[in-house]
Amino acid sequence: MASYYKKLKTELDGAAAAGLITPEQAGKVWDRAYASRTFASFKAAHWIAAISGFFISIGIILVVSYNWDKISAETKIAAFLLVFGAVAYAAMKLEDKPAAAIPLETLWFFMPVLGIGLYAQIFNLSGDPVKPYLVWAALSIPPALLLKRNLNKYLCSILLFAVLYWGTLGSTNMLSLTASYRHAVQPVWHWLPALLVLAAGFALYPADRLRKPLGAGLIWLFLMLAADTAIKLKASALLLLAAMSLSVLWLLWGMDEETSDWGLPLTFWTGAVYMMTFFWHYKPSFAELSGQSTAAGTLLVWTLFSAALLSLIFLKRRLFAGGKDDYLGKGLLAASMLGAFLLFGASEAAAKLLAVIANFILAAFGLGCILNGAKTSSEKMINRGVAVITLTAITRFVDIFGGLLKSGVAFIITGLAFAALAYFVNRGRMALIQSVKK
Amino acid sequence: MNKLKIALGAQLLFFAAWAGYELTSRNAPSEEFYLETSPVDPRDLLSGTYVALNYPIGGPQGDNCGYLLKTALSMFVKLEDKGRTANTPDGFVPVLEAAECSAKEPGGKSWARADVQPAFGGRSAARYGIEKFFLNENDPRKDARSGSVIAKVKIGSGRRLVLLDLVKKI
Repeated sequence: MASYYKKLKTELDGAAAAGLITPEQAGKVWDRAYASRTFASFKAAHWIAAISGFFISIGIILVVSYNWDKISAETKIAAFLLVFGAVAYAAMKLEDKPAAAIPLETLWFFMPVLGIGLYAQIFNLSGDPVKPYLVWAALSIPPALLLKRNLNKYLCSILLFAVLYWGTLGSTNMLSLTASYRHAVQPVWHWLPALLVLAAGFALYPADRLRKPLGAGLIWLFLMLAADTAIKLKASALLLLAAMSLSVLWLLWGMDEETSDWGLPLTFWTGAVYMMTFFWHYKPSFAELSGQSTAAGTLLVWTLFSAALLSLIFLKRRLFAGGKDDYLGKGLLAASMLGAFLLFGASEAAAKLLAVIANFILAAFGLGCILNGAKTSSEKMINRGVAVITLTAITRFVDIFGGLLKSGVAFIITGLAFAALAYFVNRGRMALIQSVKK
Repeated sequence: MNKLKIALGAQLLFFAAWAGYELTSRNAPSEEFYLETSPVDPRDLLSGTYVALNYPIGGPQGDNCGYLLKTALSMFVKLEDKGRTANTPDGFVPVLEAAECSAKEPGGKSWARADVQPAFGGRSAARYGIEKFFLNENDPRKDARSGSVIAKVKIGSGRRLVLLDLVKKI
């Protein structure tokens, strides 16, 4: 940070010397920027006081720890309630001073779990491992909703999603949905608290765009479909269809209308298609993993697929910006889902065809990114396109061609193809610039 | 601000009420007794220093026990002196064992409430909420070996077992 201010001072002095701004203006800009830095209001005395407070706190903690067994349960509880109240009250009083309020609100969020841990120690409590975390979340949600800042809402949402993953993937708690090896399935009523936790995690996430919680929820749903739960899928075709439908749903619903800022969902979808290219090595014996797919899971997959297809048709989302209709983008997304149908009753040839189609989807997507990036002057899109094509090409060389001579020749051909592509992309850009000038 | 104060009040009230419940439960006028233990894990650095305990009564043998362990979410277990004893610094003390299980709360005094741990079809365990005993990190009992300690307990509020102490056998 210090180097930032040093650089800013140099830039301002330079601008004043070049006559772009007056020395007075440079001075005022500098004063304004320097005054707004973190801990700007902290004087030497404040730092010394903070250090002294730190040492005293550590000292008190160590002395209390040494005498922990000699302190009565009532004293420990009273001290905890006092500290809890003081922290929360200070957070409320200093709500308009972020430097103090942010750490205090964070501490307020953690106070319930400290209390639960303390009570567990005092009363030798044990039980369902998930329950304390659910109680912690339930206690922290009301203040999180009432505080002006969104920090505690984020923390509560993260806590709920963490508990959801940990609880449902475990096999010995009140949220468990997965059965351990050779053990009975979990009670169906576990789905109710699990879905409530999911809904609360979703509702508490404060951002307008629900990309992250949506992604966390959809990935969780896929894990539930893949694991040994009441909605388990054992047919690889259904699993693939579920994975592609979920990634398309995340892509379409995880962004604002009409914008083309895809971010993580696009990377996820590209990764899923990339994984599909490895079906080249698929054997028909993989088709049915041990056991049968559940009716509920199968129904859910078809619902997800229908939802993804309908969203693709009716939602105004574009994979590639510009132009009237995004046929290429929508076509690629649809193909990525429909490709999974090749695995139903799959032969080795059908799986190989699926892998080839996945390679073509990636190539077409990469090319689309490069051309669209050139058209809209988006360096990010061009880089994405080049990265996808390069990764696919390198993987295929290693995966299929094998030998040094064949791989070498294939690399040369790909390099020449890239050179040609760069030439045409540049020509396209020049033509666009010329058309704008006219 | 007022709503926030109400939220804070509710949080503090929750902890005060919980403390009241636990303190009442610990001081309940019920008889103290001992249970055989089998410590399974000396400590857990994340949760602090404690002895994780398993109990023979976690897999209760007796009328209805097997059936309830497979079908119920919670149950009541009758703890009975069957003549087993342990030698402690205070002399020989009786060690209680499970004798019977019931789905509904029975009338007698020696019934303790247990939760049936789910997901272990055919091998479910009864959990009494006394499976952890927290102690000082310098306490030699933290390295207690299986069968070397017995748990001093009593039946508290709601027929929940309250873990009072971990006593070394001589």
